[in-house]
Amino acid sequence: MQNQDGAVADREKESAVSIPISEVDDWANFADDDIMQQQSAIHAEEAKKIPFVGDKYLLCCNLTVLASYLLYAVTLFQGNSLSVVSLSNTNYPMPMKNGWTVFIIFAILITCGIEKFCYMELQEPLSMLAAEYESGSPILLEKIKVLDQQYAAIRRTRGDGNCFFRSFMFSYLEHILESQDRAEVDRIKGNVEECRKTLQSLGHTDFTFEDFFSLFLEQLECVLQGNEDSIRFSPFFSQDELILRSRDQSISDYVVMFFRFVTSGEIRKRSEFFEPFILGLTNATVEQFCKSSVEPMGEESDHVHITALSDALGVPIRVVYLDRSSCDIGGVSVNHHDFLPTSANKSNAKGGSTVPVKPFITLLYRPGHYDILYPK
Amino acid sequence: MMIGGGRSSSSSSTATAAGGTWVSTTSVSASGKRIQREMSELNADPPPHCSAAPKGDNLFHWVATIIGPPGTPYQGGIFFLDITFPSDYPFQPPKVVFKTRIYHCNVDAAGNLSLDILKDSWSPALTISKVLTAIRSIFSNPDPYSPLTSGVARLYLADKAKHDEIASEWTLRFAK
Repeated sequence: MQNQDGAVADREKESAVSIPISEVDDWANFADDDIMQQQSAIHAEEAKKIPFVGDKYLLCCNLTVLASYLLYAVTLFQGNSLSVVSLSNTNYPMPMKNGWTVFIIFAILITCGIEKFCYMELQEPLSMLAAEYESGSPILLEKIKVLDQQYAAIRRTRGDGNCFFRSFMFSYLEHILESQDRAEVDRIKGNVEECRKTLQSLGHTDFTFEDFFSLFLEQLECVLQGNEDSIRFSPFFSQDELILRSRDQSISDYVVMFFRFVTSGEIRKRSEFFEPFILGLTNATVEQFCKSSVEPMGEESDHVHITALSDALGVPIRVVYLDRSSCDIGGVSVNHHDFLPTSANKSNAKGGSTVPVKPFITLLYRPGHYDILYPK
Repeated sequence: MMIGGGRSSSSSSTATAAGGTWVSTTSVSASGKRIQREMSELNADPPPHCSAAPKGDNLFHWVATIIGPPGTPYQGGIFFLDITFPSDYPFQPPKVVFKTRIYHCNVDAAGNLSLDILKDSWSPALTISKVLTAIRSIFSNPDPYSPLTSGVARLYLADKAKHDEIASEWTLRFAK
């Protein structure tokens, strides 16, 4: 990824030298990668403000988030979880007076396991997103303004290549937690069973995937509060608990892998349908694509993955694109695409339940990364 | 000790995870459970001409053997491999090292081997059984375009007969 960025940067430099057109007039020629570059440039700027904190952490945390980690960490440290909410809602201009402060902060972060906090961030208002691009493209700022009218908040996920699956996991489980929609849970369980059969028929040994399946089904049960088990074992299952689980590697990675199995199974089951898309992407066979770009952890997701996952589980997904495309005269609009499960899968759903047409999962796509959006 | 830990939690981990105590499945017990199931699968249905089992009482350290496939210069040789499972297996690939010296362009003098599924293409969907099958297939089809020992790869491309002659000599000397 970094090498790629470097290569892109080099290319940009060359083109900047050879074609001396002012930046503002030339948006159309700029690659989407620019946005990510700009983002990393901003992160790098932030990084300079906190000298002792390594790049590794700052890739996914800006100063503000870092400060919120500190507050979170400190409260956890004191065993006082009740004050988390009030603290995390304040603004965090942390005074970094000297190196010791930074050192102590860093030590606390390490003690509490900062990795845990990075899989899933706290919910942030969209103005945070605007602040990130403050010095960047005016078109992006315009688009963020448009987004701001429709969406209330953003939740960031770690950019480790699993961000689509992780965003989907959190968003879906959060929806079930809030809606307590037992019919939806029963429906998706039917689809999960179908996926299990698909994997078996494709020759996967049961034990390679059953742990991942059962862990996902457990998460579903846990977010349904009316369930007897969850009353018995966790009477206070809340959003906080969901966030904790999403940050726990032993749960989060298992669910991500569950989705990867489901996606791979769906693509191979309907290989004739997916083949042209895959050929367009990588020039690989369906089998090779699944082995190299779907099943390994950390492989980024494309529209093929999203289509397959949405079809397999029967869950519609809306993806909002924040890029520099389509700047028509007469106003900036933000593109979005709804991935709606195919009708073939609707008929598979038992009990004739209908698939909701309006997606309840909305993800924000910036080239190379997915985060969760919350509609107003 | 480690096996004991793996076993006891493997029987109860599903139940506790369902119970909502989110710290339930530690990675070691989950990976131990997975490795044990791979072991019983290997015992029940081993891939042809391969065997693998834990070295001693450490579930995370295995020894495997592969018999050189007929029709190759490695024919009849018994090649020993060391397999080490990481504590977050199956999310990270196992580390496989040849313990028997072999003249092969994808294996270096220290026994390390270059195989995509043991690096970037690793996925939790793979198993030791599939890894052994993949290793056995590079006996028959070496990949001289991503070599670890470039000299062997060059000879393989330039003069396959000479390459095969040295390889079978090494097989006779080290693997029989």
